[in-house]
Amino acid sequence: MPGTLGDMDGMDWMASAMRAAQAQLETAAHNLANVTSDGFERVRSSLVLTDRGLEARRTRDPAQGGIRETGRGLDLALLGPGAFHVGHAQTRNGAFIRDHDGYLADQHGRRVLGSAGPIHLPENATFEPDGTVRDGEQMVGRLPLPAGTTVRSGALESSSVDAIGETLAVLTSQRAFETAQKTFGAIDETRERAVNDVGRLK
Amino acid sequence: MYASASGMAAQQTNLEVIANNLANADVAGFKAVSASFTEVNAGGTLGLGTASSGKRPIFLQGKLMHSGGPFDVAIDGAGFFRIERTSTSLGTGSVTHAVTRNGEFSRAADGRLRNADGWSLRDVRIPADAVGVHVAKDGSVTIDDAAGAHRSIGRLRLATFTAPEELQPLGGTVFAATRASGPERRIDAGQDGGPSIAFGMLERSNVSIIESMMQILAAQRAYEANAKGVQAADEMQRIANNLHRS
Repeated sequence: MPGTLGDMDGMDWMASAMRAAQAQLETAAHNLANVTSDGFERVRSSLVLTDRGLEARRTRDPAQGGIRETGRGLDLALLGPGAFHVGHAQTRNGAFIRDHDGYLADQHGRRVLGSAGPIHLPENATFEPDGTVRDGEQMVGRLPLPAGTTVRSGALESSSVDAIGETLAVLTSQRAFETAQKTFGAIDETRERAVNDVGRLK
Repeated sequence: MYASASGMAAQQTNLEVIANNLANADVAGFKAVSASFTEVNAGGTLGLGTASSGKRPIFLQGKLMHSGGPFDVAIDGAGFFRIERTSTSLGTGSVTHAVTRNGEFSRAADGRLRNADGWSLRDVRIPADAVGVHVAKDGSVTIDDAAGAHRSIGRLRLATFTAPEELQPLGGTVFAATRASGPERRIDAGQDGGPSIAFGMLERSNVSIIESMMQILAAQRAYEANAKGVQAADEMQRIANNLHRS
């Protein structure tokens, strides 16, 4: 079993490269599948060298998605880092509704948490860029936002996935897999020769 | 592979919704439906792709247009017409209540104002001697009788809901209250800042044909991109299966 770089032989290397290429493909496929998921943050996959060979590491790319006007008052888009708190989860998808008790909630019915708990929305609630929720002059709640982040009502943040870039990633990961597999085969063949042919007398 | 397949399924749903919007682009009072999707991310594992997080009607105001229909009404602002339908198929004649933004009515033999799907406007019944009908901004209905006299016959009231987007579509432009939408509340039209009734007008659907066409193009491209993902995953598996003979 390989433990350090020195312990890895060519076949271990190529096997790790194939696994990494497969992980790259999975990431690209996941991103592509979410090309129309509002508020989706693209997953970035980068290859790193470890003592077990090549590994794909995944991180969230906090890039801002495009802002799309919807004209619907309860659609909220975040401009800048941060997220909405819904129940115990966090999301950047701000397609909210007013639930049957009048609270601001997401589409799964989880209530959106303001600085002082769930936000009860009056019929004509307005959202200010700093996250303040108002009923006319009166403040009825506040969305907790990091400094510098603003919120926009009547718009949604589109997925930050770039379909062309991800399609390229699909193709490159496929080619990388193929290359590793070819090399794997070549090493295998070399060994086959070494075992069967070296020392053979004609 | 499954992530890409989920992406293809999502785009297919998306296309169906957009196609349905386009098909109803000329129906008065129709509200565009929007499908939304969210990432599937169970316990931090990746590769599950996306799933539909529901379809919801977008209750944005459609443009009002003159229709010339003698019983056409439209709502300028939020709210719904309250309608009902008597179902005789059960023998008991049970009455179903619903709401709509489609104000294209015609006068039925019993004096009720009925739409093409057989739903009648509640509150109002036109007397047999009426030769003309007028609905004011606040919903009050007056008629002219054959002698030329005006007479008030009642008032059209609108319905509103705490969570209108949770209404259940009953097909076309008709919606029914659900637990999630909250019960119907009646409001009067013509108040300050509230909705008003436009008589002799119809509300056009709020579907934008250009926007829908652009959505179709985007959905098709996204579908193709996901199909590439499926192909690539399939190819990798094929190669992996043939590793031992390479």
